Amino acid sequence: MKITRMVSRIAAVALFLAAGSLFGQNLTLGSWRTDDVAKISNIIAAFNKTYPNIKVKFDPTNPPDYNATLRLQLESGNGPDLFYARSYATGAELFKAGFELDLTSLPAIKSNFTPSAVSAWTTPDGKVFAMPLGAVSHGIYYNKDIFAKYGIAVPKTWEALIAAADKLKKAGVTPFANGVADQWDINEVVMMSILPSAVGGSEGRLAYESGKRPFNDAAIVGAFQQIKDLAPYLPKGFEALTYNDSAALFALGKAAMYFDGSWTVPQFIDQAKGIQWSVFSTPPAKGKKPVVEFHPDSAIAINPASKNIEAAKTFLTWLSGPQGAKAIGDNLIGVFPMSKNAVKLDNEYANTFLSFNTGAGQDARFVWPKLMVGKPSGYDLLQNNTIAVLKGEITPKAAADAFAAGLAQWYKP
Amino acid sequence: MKGKSLETERNLVWLWWIVPALAVYLVFMAWPLFNSLRLSFYTGTGFKLDNFIGFDNYVRLFAGGEESTRFLGAFKNTLFFFCVHMLVQNVLGLAFALLLARKTIRGKPFFRTVIFIPATLAIVVTGFLWKLILNPQWGPLNIILGEVGLGDWALPWLGESHLALFVISLVSSWQWVGIPTMIFLAAIQGINDDYFEAAEIDGARPSQVLWRIKLPLLRPIIGVVAILTFTGNFNAFDVVFAMAGPNGPPAYSTDILGTYFYRTGIAGQHPVGIPDMGLGAAVSTITFLVLLAGVVIMQALSREPRGDRR
Amino acid sequence: MKQIRPRFRAADLPGYVLLGFWTFVVLVPLWVMVVNSFKPSLDIFRDPFGLPPTVSVEGYQSLVTGSSFLTYFLNSLMITTVSIVGVLLLASTAAYGLVSWNSRASRYLLLVFLAGMMIPIRIASINLLSLVKDLGLMDSLWGLFPIYAAMGLPMGVFVLTEFIRSVPKEILNAARIDGAGSVRIYIQVIVPLIRPALATVAIFNLVNLWNDLWFPLILIRSDDQRTLMLGVTRLFGQYQTDWNKVLAVLTSASVPIILLYLFLSKQFIKGLTAGAVKE
Repeated sequence: MKITRMVSRIAAVALFLAAGSLFGQNLTLGSWRTDDVAKISNIIAAFNKTYPNIKVKFDPTNPPDYNATLRLQLESGNGPDLFYARSYATGAELFKAGFELDLTSLPAIKSNFTPSAVSAWTTPDGKVFAMPLGAVSHGIYYNKDIFAKYGIAVPKTWEALIAAADKLKKAGVTPFANGVADQWDINEVVMMSILPSAVGGSEGRLAYESGKRPFNDAAIVGAFQQIKDLAPYLPKGFEALTYNDSAALFALGKAAMYFDGSWTVPQFIDQAKGIQWSVFSTPPAKGKKPVVEFHPDSAIAINPASKNIEAAKTFLTWLSGPQGAKAIGDNLIGVFPMSKNAVKLDNEYANTFLSFNTGAGQDARFVWPKLMVGKPSGYDLLQNNTIAVLKGEITPKAAADAFAAGLAQWYKP
Repeated sequence: MKGKSLETERNLVWLWWIVPALAVYLVFMAWPLFNSLRLSFYTGTGFKLDNFIGFDNYVRLFAGGEESTRFLGAFKNTLFFFCVHMLVQNVLGLAFALLLARKTIRGKPFFRTVIFIPATLAIVVTGFLWKLILNPQWGPLNIILGEVGLGDWALPWLGESHLALFVISLVSSWQWVGIPTMIFLAAIQGINDDYFEAAEIDGARPSQVLWRIKLPLLRPIIGVVAILTFTGNFNAFDVVFAMAGPNGPPAYSTDILGTYFYRTGIAGQHPVGIPDMGLGAAVSTITFLVLLAGVVIMQALSREPRGDRR
Repeated sequence: MKQIRPRFRAADLPGYVLLGFWTFVVLVPLWVMVVNSFKPSLDIFRDPFGLPPTVSVEGYQSLVTGSSFLTYFLNSLMITTVSIVGVLLLASTAAYGLVSWNSRASRYLLLVFLAGMMIPIRIASINLLSLVKDLGLMDSLWGLFPIYAAMGLPMGVFVLTEFIRSVPKEILNAARIDGAGSVRIYIQVIVPLIRPALATVAIFNLVNLWNDLWFPLILIRSDDQRTLMLGVTRLFGQYQTDWNKVLAVLTSASVPIILLYLFLSKQFIKGLTAGAVKE
């Protein structure tokens, strides 16, 4: 008896120590979301209620430096244990180079996600290289006070949107807050939110990718034409207006509308206190069906060189489970959890964004799945030609032709 | 004990004074650099370059097509960037130095400090501040222009292809003008006063003193400043990165060799981020060779008329 | 001949106008930075120049309480100081050796050092990374030290050889006759004589190293090892839409170095004035 008790006591101590060494672990989480520091710490705090021994440190890098520094750190064996992975080819490239752990057999991937949710982080041969975190949506923020003052209803068609913009401009109000100085925003939140409806959603995109439709057909020219429609209604000096400038213009009530992504919701909750605002879906041109730019944005990959792979897996499994999905939904407002366990969101603005999907198609950003891995990349081509059209340097037709010609240099369907 | 008399000028003992610095320099600078230049003959994915391809990377930079357009564009922009610095930063620096060397000017320590302060600022600070000042909506510059009745001049400074690089060069000159100023000032103060006083007694006009006496005497130091500017500008990166971003917008008009190298060799193209390290190394090798050639030429030019003084 | 008290001359008027204009151009951005760091977040867009109606130190508060700003600051101070001392020591001994050793080899070695002033060091990043890793200094402040020392050497050797060359031979010979060895001559004669030049090298390196972002960016990850610029850049991203916080960060990062410059500038000016163009 005595001996058994002693043995069991020793065993208990040993188990405790083993558990301690197993779970007393530190993980770093690399990311490009520098503005999420506070929110991610909340999520980690929720995680630590269940797993107090796994310390996760969120360590973001500024977006322009993220790719370069992550790559250098991974190459030198100094990478973070977990890191945000971009979707499609960008993320797959790191997997090919051996910097992302194969997660295909992770039970959480199978049980918590539909195959379509994981598809953006799946290689062509079916290997999953990251666990989806969230999707983002895109639309047009608008100032309710200004809309009410000038009797403008939320536009349901592109033509109505332009008519509203014209009315506002004539009244001396800046219709849209967007600018082109940072380039990516005009590309990702304006042009690529117009394109899904213009080309007919994901089927339309697949037809381009498979070579059935030329990249300068009427639909693409039409999308560039819509860009041209916007030109007169951008702020004075939009050529040099940055992304942050645009957000500030809208938040200060100096512009009536603003194309942006759902991730800006928390910023406006903080800063746009002086105005009443909401958001509507980028309206399709007359006769086109609405398709929302609903983009699988971020996922988390595990560094195979990490010393704490098991802890990393534990974290990801928790994050995709019911508690994790709730923590993401509560904290990362404007990022939509992609796991099956996603709960109902509390935030009205986030729910408005989600409501765009009802009765409308959805598609990822147009160039993301296939068109970014060659030179000149479809991303740059779309961006540069969009800006040139806005500045009146080329016609929509010429822009579509340049887009197609650039892709023709390397893209083979 | 080790006989002091042995430490003659030709004694190898002196090598020991040089070895520590040389070792650090070779290990942490020369060798990594040499190694990187070697990579310009290779290709591969990411930073693993294992496929020898001879001069292919160089061919891509010069043989036309997308890569070559970007590279030659960046080269041309860098040259323009350098010219603006020569004309604005260095001419202004020379003017400041001449003024600060005048005995009759008051408040010299104050002005000297003011001129040098921007050089102590981090580029993050300079870039952010000037972007704020040049902002087309609420930037102080355009507000001032509007108030003095020059509202038409209130342009989107960083958004126009024909203006942006010039404006960025001016900001960079603003930041670094203190350095040529100090170097010139030191040189002017090193010139014996007798020259000027003799000339003044002879009734020479101030402009004659400047063109006939001061500038010729300053010729070697102008050469030094030109070389420093040249090497600095061909390695420049931060100011464009901070003010315009890695793509050199608008429409690649502010893309210089530094940003082009960063995009191709280090960061990869946003948002894909697959660096082409071999190509980047080729860009660096060319940059290095251009610098070497430029320095040799400039050194020859700034020395030529007076012959070798050593 | 020399005027002791400069009196205002009409001929200097254009000079004063130019200097006055430049003072304005330099001080306005700094004023905008400092004054707006004390305003509530979006007020900068309403009135970028004016004094804040009520002083808000919110930006600075969050800096002190919500970040490791002080750690970053001390890290930067430490690595910059140590690196500068390293550069001064290595460069001055090497320069002493290069000047004293009268041979063809020493002239070639000098050229090897000078070539370093033209090196685009960023391209060597990958090799430097693996080097630092082999030394076991990855993710450590000290990994920056050898790189910074190497970066400062070319310019240091360049300036210091020029200066040591200008030290009169008679002084050295006198010391030698007194029985001083080369080490004693270096410590007791050379170093005191080239002090202004050392200040010059120190200031150039101070500005460069204090403001370097690239190497901390790729070598350092841990929060407690970060330099000020790295920390500032991260905070910058984090606060990017909180303008007063951004400006508080920028002000706090700039003011110390400006003060340090003001403190060292006398030596600096002397350094430049004493040695340049003494060929």
